[in-house]
Amino acid sequence: MSPSTETAARCPFGHGAEAPAGHHGYQPFQMKDPFPAYAELRAEQPVMFDERIGLYVVSRYDDIKAVFDDWETFSSENAQAPVRERGPQAKQIMEEGGFTAYSGLSARRPPEHTRIRAVVQKAFTPRRFKVLEPFIRQNVVDQLEAMLANPERRGDIFRDLAYDVPTVTILTLIGADVEQVDTFKRWSDSRAAMTWGDLSDEEQIPHAHNLVEYWQECQRLVRVAHEQGGDNLTADLVKAQQDGAEITDHEIASVLYSMLFAGHETTTTLISNAVRVLLAHPEQWQQLVEDPKKIPAAIDEVLRYSGSIVGWRRKALKDAEVGGVKIPEGGQLLLLMGSANRDEGRFADGEEFDISRSNAREHLSFGYGIHYCLGNMLAKLQAKIALEEIARLAPNLKLDNPEAIEFRENLSFRVPESVPVTWEA
Amino acid sequence: MPTVHFTDAEGVVRDIEGNAGDSVMETAVRNGVPGIVAECGGSLSCATCHVFVREDCLDQLPEMDEMEDEMLYGTAVDREDNSRLSCQLKLSEDSDLYVTTPETQV
Repeated sequence: MSPSTETAARCPFGHGAEAPAGHHGYQPFQMKDPFPAYAELRAEQPVMFDERIGLYVVSRYDDIKAVFDDWETFSSENAQAPVRERGPQAKQIMEEGGFTAYSGLSARRPPEHTRIRAVVQKAFTPRRFKVLEPFIRQNVVDQLEAMLANPERRGDIFRDLAYDVPTVTILTLIGADVEQVDTFKRWSDSRAAMTWGDLSDEEQIPHAHNLVEYWQECQRLVRVAHEQGGDNLTADLVKAQQDGAEITDHEIASVLYSMLFAGHETTTTLISNAVRVLLAHPEQWQQLVEDPKKIPAAIDEVLRYSGSIVGWRRKALKDAEVGGVKIPEGGQLLLLMGSANRDEGRFADGEEFDISRSNAREHLSFGYGIHYCLGNMLAKLQAKIALEEIARLAPNLKLDNPEAIEFRENLSFRVPESVPVTWEA
Repeated sequence: MPTVHFTDAEGVVRDIEGNAGDSVMETAVRNGVPGIVAECGGSLSCATCHVFVREDCLDQLPEMDEMEDEMLYGTAVDREDNSRLSCQLKLSEDSDLYVTTPETQV
């Protein structure tokens, strides 16, 4: 868990990995259009040590999949480490606030990861969330109708649909208060900024307070489940523990700390990106309106072309090699799935968006192997419902000034600030 | 040599020799057998390696555990009594398995 800044000074090995001054145009925190830089990295230097972030940046499909697959060599323990070391004020706030969370699952290693994932997976099954489908659909319809009632015929898919829907779903599944969407979103934004953002010590302070509150709420939910039970995932985990499953209260709270973030943040982004990208390709959107059965394949293509998470970290536990480049023990990697997903070696015309692409599902946006996104099916289900209802209720939606859409600065999460839309009367 | 006979939804049969210890899913993916997607790589998280096992082969297979059973509720084509997730089916030296892949895993 050593922060990446420790190795930030220089490339320890350097053989072919040292970055040129221009870093092939790669800017670690800039998300508006990283794809030209990705293409150059793949072509010129598929494994580049970026001294600005202390990470070996890996950009080719086969290399990234191989690293994900080899969890014994490439540990996920650094996946949740702050990219920028926590400042003294933030540290103090979090210490005094009793903040002891690190990771629910994604940054744990076997055998601990295997043990906890087995318990959680049983509580987070297709049967459990498929029951919610009518409820999710109703929520989508309500949100859309509210947006479409605007007499000015303008909306923002991010704010008016994608923000609320997956958040209400995960809060319901976990048994948290669905009236607190804004609060959980505030905490989640802080989590994304504190871990993967490029913040100064000063800027970290409000986020540190938010993380303390967030962690307290996760622990409170576990206490409530102990006291009152309930028909939700938290109560199921507590019950599993009482029935002998090996999982502690701290681990359950940590799982909530993961899910109450990952369980909506990336789905908000997915729904936003799905609408943004599809409306930018009106002839393909029209195909979905005419034949909604094409929606699931289109969602996989959105995940490939514009995934919610474009980079994820690993750490070499021993001397290793990636794409012919030596990685020393302790070396940390940034796997650019956003680049892998456009690698011509795997995806013909990878820079083109094409909902009829037959192998779109080979994208790496959910990772691969033992840490594969637990919520992948729920995420896709919600995106599917959202697109089905938009195609039905607002087939003539148009994107408003898409070039002006900005993306949040972040190392890993590529999140549009808004997805402005208009429609005819 | 263990052998798996894959029949796709159109009836095309592919006989593949595998390695003991590999799963049916790995055998399919390594040999480019269509009809098995296996997005998650065998971590019981995606239900895209669903197969129907010929009835007389079922007793060659390990018992289904609870998690596999749960994930089979998430398959694209509805499960049947002979449904299994092929990532959970390990081959032994004398395996001779007949499986059919569903029309879609999406």
